[in-house]
Amino acid sequence: MGSISIVRFFITTMRAALYRYSTMWLTQVSFRYRRRDRYVIEAAEARLAPGDVVELTGANGAGKSTLLRLLAGLTRPTSGAVTDRPAVVGYVPDRFPTGQPFTVAGYLRHMARVRGGARWEPWAERVGLDAFSEVRLRELSKGTAHKVGLVQALMAEPGLLVLDEPFAGLDQDTRDALPQIVTEVTERGGIVVASDHQGGLGTLDGVRLWSLRSARLIEHPPSSSPADSSALDDSLDGSPGVFAASGDAVAVEVRVPARDLDGFLRRMRDDGYPARALTEEEAR
Amino acid sequence: MIALVVFRIAAYVRSHRVFQALLPILVMISIVYASRAPRGAEAAALTDSAVLVIPFLAWAARGLLDTEPDEQRAISATGAGGRLREVAAGLLAALVTCTAFAALTLGCGLMLGLSATPSRGVVSAGVVLHGLAVLAGVALGALTSRPVMPSPAYSVTALVAGFLMMLLVGASPAYWLTVPVTAWMKAAGAGRLVTELPGLTAISLAWCLAALTVYGYLRRSRP
Repeated sequence: MGSISIVRFFITTMRAALYRYSTMWLTQVSFRYRRRDRYVIEAAEARLAPGDVVELTGANGAGKSTLLRLLAGLTRPTSGAVTDRPAVVGYVPDRFPTGQPFTVAGYLRHMARVRGGARWEPWAERVGLDAFSEVRLRELSKGTAHKVGLVQALMAEPGLLVLDEPFAGLDQDTRDALPQIVTEVTERGGIVVASDHQGGLGTLDGVRLWSLRSARLIEHPPSSSPADSSALDDSLDGSPGVFAASGDAVAVEVRVPARDLDGFLRRMRDDGYPARALTEEEAR
Repeated sequence: MIALVVFRIAAYVRSHRVFQALLPILVMISIVYASRAPRGAEAAALTDSAVLVIPFLAWAARGLLDTEPDEQRAISATGAGGRLREVAAGLLAALVTCTAFAALTLGCGLMLGLSATPSRGVVSAGVVLHGLAVLAGVALGALTSRPVMPSPAYSVTALVAGFLMMLLVGASPAYWLTVPVTAWMKAAGAGRLVTELPGLTAISLAWCLAALTVYGYLRRSRP
């Protein structure tokens, strides 16, 4: 009996170690909240390899938090699949839930046990949370509460770290430290995906830029940025048939058979170009 | 997962929500066992307490599951290794809490509420019925918890209506369409509880497990 338990423990441990860092896939992932609602995410395709850092942008309500929850496995896609997700996931919500009857240390001790005995103290010290150990969660400021959220996610050395607006409310020291923390996670082979309005991870090398527009997930080439694409969006508002330029971006008109329109637009968007069909009035 | 169960029970106790269920249960025990059940009515008294404690157990289960803020549920799910484990840990925590409340009810009944010492068969039947009350309470509480019913008004209404339905349908010839709590009381009053217990247990168990399965299914799309 004892040897069976040991073998089972060994297998469980090995499996967690084996799948801690892996390449995960999003295959035609779509999501809507109710049957007749519009899609919040539509046909998202992506590959996330160990060491990847992704900065996700998009307007308010574009579906960034929904996509992050899909990636973290907290929400099931309406269709499509997220596969080969790393075994250990760290999730930091945009607002840490302070309405809980624990002190900072009490809460993190519980979360460490849930994580199988992870060590939280070094992380608490690193983000400047050690002075707040005996403070009740309800009494924390937004930024300090956010640090509790960071510590609970980082303590287990996640293979996938999902950060929803990680820089919101943080003090300057922690804002400066966060890119280095992200680098350490990726150097271990972890994947980091962060929604960020403030471009805080922009200082890191090789950051992949994703944006969500009209329910479509767009990956921007490393040389361009969502800002460039915004310029392209603006230029697309120009007259049809006229090559319009704005900065480095130009607007082009392409004629395709009506039956190929959806596929063409999807391919263009998948390649990172904010393509759209002209209205009848524009095409005249 | 055990650590998550402990975390949830600790949150339930430390938030003092535990008193929202404990105090009504103490009041119910005081009323049901205010006068000791006469000799020969031990089975009926224990069955009455098992039935009457169900809505309070459902209230306790609902309170425990709703103690955790929505975003904490997400954090717990990633910490425990998946949403399935988070759901299971919540149900297990509710089961432990409700078992403690049911044991308190049964213990008070056996020690303070009976004039004569009941037979071993009656005591066993009382234990089984209080166990079924725990399952029924957890299932009803889970189905009316916030992830399934976000509106507090609808949730409380559904909880009370669920218990009334058990009473009314259980009193009808189609008693097998629900957890037949009125049939429990009828059998106990007629002195047939021990003989009819296996059939009533099978029906009750089937409905409780069905309700818990529905809860698990609904939580797939209601994180």
